[in-house]
Amino acid sequence: MPANRPPSNDNLPAELPQSARWIEALDRQAGIIMGMFVTAGFEPIAPPMIQPAGVFLDLIGEDLRARTYVFADPDGAELCLRPDLTIPACRVYLQRHGETSAPARFAYDGVVFRYQPGGDSLTRPREIRQAGIESFAAHDPARAEAEILALSVEAVRAAGLRAFRLRIGDLGIFQALLVAIEMPDRWRARLTHHFWRPDAFRAQLQRLTRATGARSSVPQSLLKAIGTATAETAEGIVADFVSNRGADVMGTRTLAEITEQIVSELDDANTAPLGERDAQLLEAYLGLQSAAKDAAPAIRALLRPHGITLEPALDAFERRLRLAAEESIDLTQAQFSAGFGRAFEYYTGFVFEILSPSIGETTPIGGGGRYDTLVKAMSGSVKVPAVGSAIHTERLLLAVRGGRP
Amino acid sequence: MSALTLAVPSKGRLMEESMAAFQRAGITLAKAGDGRGYRGTISGVGGVEVTFVSAAEIAVLLRAGDVHMGVTGEDLVRETIPDADARVAIEAKLGFGHADVVVAVPDFWIDVATMADLEEAAVLYRRRHGTRLRVATKYTGLTRRFFAGERFGGGPRSPDAVTLYRIVESLGATEGAPAAGTAELIVDITSTGSTLRANGLRVLEDGVILNSEACLVASEVATWTPEQMTVRTELVARLGKA
Repeated sequence: MPANRPPSNDNLPAELPQSARWIEALDRQAGIIMGMFVTAGFEPIAPPMIQPAGVFLDLIGEDLRARTYVFADPDGAELCLRPDLTIPACRVYLQRHGETSAPARFAYDGVVFRYQPGGDSLTRPREIRQAGIESFAAHDPARAEAEILALSVEAVRAAGLRAFRLRIGDLGIFQALLVAIEMPDRWRARLTHHFWRPDAFRAQLQRLTRATGARSSVPQSLLKAIGTATAETAEGIVADFVSNRGADVMGTRTLAEITEQIVSELDDANTAPLGERDAQLLEAYLGLQSAAKDAAPAIRALLRPHGITLEPALDAFERRLRLAAEESIDLTQAQFSAGFGRAFEYYTGFVFEILSPSIGETTPIGGGGRYDTLVKAMSGSVKVPAVGSAIHTERLLLAVRGGRP
Repeated sequence: MSALTLAVPSKGRLMEESMAAFQRAGITLAKAGDGRGYRGTISGVGGVEVTFVSAAEIAVLLRAGDVHMGVTGEDLVRETIPDADARVAIEAKLGFGHADVVVAVPDFWIDVATMADLEEAAVLYRRRHGTRLRVATKYTGLTRRFFAGERFGGGPRSPDAVTLYRIVESLGATEGAPAAGTAELIVDITSTGSTLRANGLRVLEDGVILNSEACLVASEVATWTPEQMTVRTELVARLGKA
């Protein structure tokens, strides 16, 4: 999964041995891990290393170019070296099951490529080997999450990792909190849109708590003219305004869209701003950290003075902990962090990562989570809930060896 | 002792004004031979070797450290060298070749005056059309970094990032792209803004990416001898005043 992490100061050697023995050890380890995935019912797939860049650019945006090898072939097609294996796995899923949205479970072991400003290094390698699993359209989402988590943990254990910590989060609780706080839907959409960039999120939150709510870009005279006009009348007023200004209408963005934007701005101006207490609650929630077993009680305690309950979301969270325990994964020692997952662009619910003390806190051995909107964003049609995880097998081998290659 | 290598634009007004700037500093540049080659001659300062190269190529040479110094536009430096502040030093702004790199939208987008407005418009656009707004530009790197919130010239990052867009690479007549329907907005250079206005476009209030002009630039990744450093100091002092 593409992640925007700060450069790490973790305890890693300067470079990996480029030796056959190291590669053999990696292959052996991958064999063990893939064996477990296959036994658990995940079908091994091998998506191409070279992928169409457009799919990634549409999903991730132009920022992709800052960390991916994007190039053109002689036909002019824009291609890339795959920067992750989740999107290629989704493409395989759509090819096979796009029509039916049937459940499917895939496993892979392969290299992904990232451009690293300043060159290749062990903490920031260009080539990253990953072994991962993806589960699409499972009937019981919480159970699928518990299974993915359990299998990832069992895999690193089977590879010989003794000491590790789990960190978990749940973006679904945040979504439920947004719904529980009184505000127009378009504000929720806006906050969700900015969620992945904490500074932009904070700026947006501050904007919504300000008295006017509205931006001042549109001339006051026009705002006054539109007032409470119906959509059609409003579009006519906007068209007249544009034509009086002598501006040409051009391109694919329509007067109707511009009118819709202005009307929503007017609505903002006529809506009571977001309460300071609500804004503080959102910030306080996102800063919450606790032991996983204490997380639900801690969240309930935080919400109680606000008269807010998030029972379906918190019940799902607790059920997931129980299901993981049934899979013999002890989540009671895991750390819960409410803001965790914000560095990853397509997670929508449960998220986790596996940390090793011998490698350090900022370079996880593996991690994953739920991404329920990705397949729909790719296909444009059906919603296919999905959850997956990937293990950095080079980091895992290093951790198993106590940090030395 | 090996000479400091200096690259100067090989064509057009940028070349003429570069030569004039050096002349004001008491340094005469000329193309060698019949004037069609790349080699140049220099008098008025010792220990410098001159080559005439296109301004875009000069940025590439500076990035790799293949020349010690060069005259080129800041727009090309920042576009070509993502970590420009680490790799090169802008030693003097030369006062010609002024051009602003700007974000411009159709003037009839009366709801969009700022980058924050643009992101809001982009969110609605994607909901309506299922695609991202297209930005036509030859400045793909500057566009990507500016839209991500980076500010050039020492300003803090802006929280008003624009994320829902796609770049359409444009190699000429970029300002015509919105009217032609190949992009919704553009990032391009402008000096007076009249070409943008003639094409029905308007610069966003906070959409000036860079106030660019021709600069004397030194490559920090080139190998420098103490003698070459001495010559660099002299060139900077003389050009800075000229």
